[in-house]
Amino acid sequence: MLKQDRRSFLKTSALIGAGITGLKSKDTKAQTRHVISEDRMGVLVDTTVCIGCRKCEWACKTAHDLPAGDIESYEDRSVYEKMRRPDDKALTVVNEYSNPDPTKLPTNVKVQCMHCDEPACLSACIVGAFSKDESGSVVWDTEKCIGCRYCMIACPFQIPAFEYDKALQPDIKKCDFCIERTTQGQLPACVEICPVEALTYGRRKDLIEVARKKIKNYPDRYIDSILGDTEVGGTSWMYLSGRDFQELDFPKLGEDPAPGVSESIQHGIFAYFVPPISLYALLGGVMWLNKKKEKSKEE
Amino acid sequence: MKKISIIILVFISASIYAQKELEQHPMAKSLECNYCHSCEIPTKDDPCLYTCPRTHMVTLQHPVEDAPEVIVLDELKEQSDLYAPVVFSHRLHAEMSNMAGGCQLCHHYNPPGVILGCQECHENSRSRTDLNKPDLKGAYHRQCIDCHREWTHEVECASCHLLNEKIVADEVQVKDYSEIKHPKIIEPTKIVYNTEFDDGDIVTFYHDEHVNLFNLDCSSCHSNSSCASCHDTTPLKLEPTLDQLHRVCSECHDTEDDCTNCHIKKERPRFNHELITGFDLNKYHKNIDCKSCHGKDGFKGLNDNCGTCHTDWSPGNFDHKITGLILSESHEGNDCEVCHENNNFKKPTCSMCHDEDVTYPDFMPGEEI
Amino acid sequence: MEHFMKPAPIEKKYFTPGVMVFVVLAAIGLVFLAIRFIGGIGAVTNLDNQHPWGIWIGLDVALGVALAAGGFTSAALGHIWHREHYHAIIRPALLTALLGYTFVAVSVAMDLGRYYYIWHPLIMWNGTSVLFEVGICVMIYLTVLYIEFLPIVAERFIGRVNLPGLLSRLNKTVDSLLRALDRGLDKTMFVFIIAGVVLSCLHQSSLGSLMIIAGPKMHPLWQTPILPLLFLLSAIGVGFPMVIFESLISSRSFGLKPETPILTNLGNIIGPILGIYLAFKIGDMVIRQTFVYLTTITTESVMYAIEIVIGVIVPLRMFLSEQVRKSPAGLFIASSLVIFGVFMNRLNTFLVAYTPPYEMTTYFPSVGEIAVTVGFISIEVLLYRLMVKIFPVISHPQKDVAPQTKFSVRGMI
Repeated sequence: MLKQDRRSFLKTSALIGAGITGLKSKDTKAQTRHVISEDRMGVLVDTTVCIGCRKCEWACKTAHDLPAGDIESYEDRSVYEKMRRPDDKALTVVNEYSNPDPTKLPTNVKVQCMHCDEPACLSACIVGAFSKDESGSVVWDTEKCIGCRYCMIACPFQIPAFEYDKALQPDIKKCDFCIERTTQGQLPACVEICPVEALTYGRRKDLIEVARKKIKNYPDRYIDSILGDTEVGGTSWMYLSGRDFQELDFPKLGEDPAPGVSESIQHGIFAYFVPPISLYALLGGVMWLNKKKEKSKEE
Repeated sequence: MKKISIIILVFISASIYAQKELEQHPMAKSLECNYCHSCEIPTKDDPCLYTCPRTHMVTLQHPVEDAPEVIVLDELKEQSDLYAPVVFSHRLHAEMSNMAGGCQLCHHYNPPGVILGCQECHENSRSRTDLNKPDLKGAYHRQCIDCHREWTHEVECASCHLLNEKIVADEVQVKDYSEIKHPKIIEPTKIVYNTEFDDGDIVTFYHDEHVNLFNLDCSSCHSNSSCASCHDTTPLKLEPTLDQLHRVCSECHDTEDDCTNCHIKKERPRFNHELITGFDLNKYHKNIDCKSCHGKDGFKGLNDNCGTCHTDWSPGNFDHKITGLILSESHEGNDCEVCHENNNFKKPTCSMCHDEDVTYPDFMPGEEI
Repeated sequence: MEHFMKPAPIEKKYFTPGVMVFVVLAAIGLVFLAIRFIGGIGAVTNLDNQHPWGIWIGLDVALGVALAAGGFTSAALGHIWHREHYHAIIRPALLTALLGYTFVAVSVAMDLGRYYYIWHPLIMWNGTSVLFEVGICVMIYLTVLYIEFLPIVAERFIGRVNLPGLLSRLNKTVDSLLRALDRGLDKTMFVFIIAGVVLSCLHQSSLGSLMIIAGPKMHPLWQTPILPLLFLLSAIGVGFPMVIFESLISSRSFGLKPETPILTNLGNIIGPILGIYLAFKIGDMVIRQTFVYLTTITTESVMYAIEIVIGVIVPLRMFLSEQVRKSPAGLFIASSLVIFGVFMNRLNTFLVAYTPPYEMTTYFPSVGEIAVTVGFISIEVLLYRLMVKIFPVISHPQKDVAPQTKFSVRGMI
């Protein structure tokens, strides 16, 4: 609650500041904290089920009007020789990790935006172009973005990508959890196409229950951990695995929300604007005293 | 009057409904309810079934001949029209399954009665409330791809179904699979393994003994072996670990403590009970299951004393005829020990009653058949 | 013999062989800049999705802001602490800050994917964003700097407004406008001066907070919650060395006598500030036990060692020696080392320390990036030279002029 108060204070103070400098804030909405709905949706990725067919990559591109190519070309598994990352031309990619047990099949891991509950990109963005939708999606607003790429610095999962080859209107590209499709009652494109339902779409809290049950029922199949349950304050996309997540190149992250430290320092410096104003007053006092001293010297 | 009739009507309809419920229940009466249901009173709306009755479920084998030959899996059309339906050679697959796990290899929820298809449990919709089991599309694909992938290491969609846009005629061609059979698997009689174990590099494995003598089912050893153990065509055929090599044997044999049980320096002769234990598996014991004698205590603790196993034998209930000798009237009523001193059933001693000149087999205590 | 220092325009010819070199460098930079606008950022830079920020942010912006700190430190010293004898350095420092911040703003715009939306933060606010705070502070501070510079413009042109052609009709109006402005600012200038110092403290520190959100992507040697404090201290620490550096270079370039006594006095302050900075830096390392990363030789450990030893410890020792402080050469070398140290620190914090979890390529600035950075520095130098020729910025000994109490600190500047 206190935090909220501070924020609203910051907002009003900023408004006053803008008033002084003769500016009007048209968009005060950017300041409102994102609402995290209890019923927000999520996806549970079961890496023990994924077969690495890469149909999700095709579906994603098709749904987002990116050049997708021939669906059958996605069966080429030679792409797995190198690790790939989502970029401006592919919002999701699947990687392959050979199994330490050589008689067993490799593990495939789909990578996309995790849709954090406390997104670092949202906190960092200079113009508030990111928002956490009630449905769980973290979406980017092309109307606001200025292309500073601070979201890319902030993201702990290294997801947002930038169109470096565009001179005009380059976009930040990242998975938007198919928000256009889901608002129309459709499934996210990748979830819909997945042949083996390695991607389970549902309410986040239901998915956590499902995941816990799976771990309990098949202790040999899964390690006892759900990635995204608590990492960086929780994410909408979560992963199950039979192997240590670090082996699958997931970054080792704590449970504190990624923007936590940064925001608390920021709010510390700007707490009710007290520190800047007191510094101002202090310097004013010093100036006045020194001037007085000098005047008395002159007289 | 009206009220009463309404009440009666309600009662009747309720009882009819309840009866119908019972009739439709897929499970046999012999099963406990809590085998499948987690709550006390399951209803149709909330059957509170356990997540996946894969492990606890009793299974029933059906003969392969009963299996439908071809099934066209076209239920997924409602979800997506990207790919054409799969024409599934069901019986061929059933035959192949029979080599490993039987029907339950795929029909893992296999209660007595009619075998259930996937769509009975797996919803044909990805947006659903019960997320504990995969939807129909997921279930189908997991069932098929897991094996197919093992031997090709690829996931070619086209090996089962073509893209709709690539099909010229609208109709799905149903191929005739009746002539196609999985080739009969040739059973080996003996396999001699050359291992890298120094104290005994040779392991002799008599396959026929395990099948015929020890009466083992194929599935008792081969249930975990995938299609890929024969079909893996990739050059990347990987060496199994030591543990995996021994896993099949260690089900019955001790592979931990004494390696020389199996690993010896020369080829092992066929199994001979008399040579190893001193007890001849005569015609009475030759064809019985090992387990009927070697029960709970494993292979230890038995001697050649009949009474160790046949604890209930007495003159009243033992029919001496099966030994090939019908006892004469004078011998019939004797206790066993009278002739078989010290439980020696091979050769009777006569000296208990007779003089020394009466000896077996010169004098018979009855009539030989 | 006592003489009085008074700022006046420099009367030397603009073009020298050295200036021509800068012109060429500036031209090359502008060519690459043109490519950036035609082909996008990717056409010129080595930036990619793993390394979203390069030297245009790490050096042009972060270092640019730090090196322009001379403006607010000397303003604080001269005006707030009222040390009259430093007034000779305030105007050059102000001009440097003015040009520095202008080019910070320009560099930011060049690095923005959508430079034409640079005004968005003015109306689209995100209170949680450190970058938003930096942006707003820099924008206001830049305005403040221009306001602080206005009296110099007024001093130069009052009574001398001479617009060409038709515009000459407006000469009188402009003149009276300037006079009005000058009078108004004379009374209110203290508001802007204090605001400038406060704003500088805010954004100099927040520039450090920028990288905190990168969390584990930053090497632990640099990732610390006291980054804002370290940035503020290092900015204050580099402020005076920058003034000394500049003053020595311009006096040499314009053939003036170095203002050694003033610079020596400045040098007295630098030592303690560097000492405090070093104490925090080492203390932070001890508390977080990051010295373990220095036991192996990696790019990070070597860069850290260079930054601390050559960039902080050596100049600190030099500034503590009276002999060094009294010789222009010693001052020049020591100041250069401090500047180098801050250069290394900003480079390390923004580029070397930043190791993304999925790093397939390593970042090294492209020829284009370096050319643009060098080009901008050259343009700054050229503009500085031009400005000191037009405006009374650099103080000369004026034998024939008696000290005028009012105009020596005209409008508090």
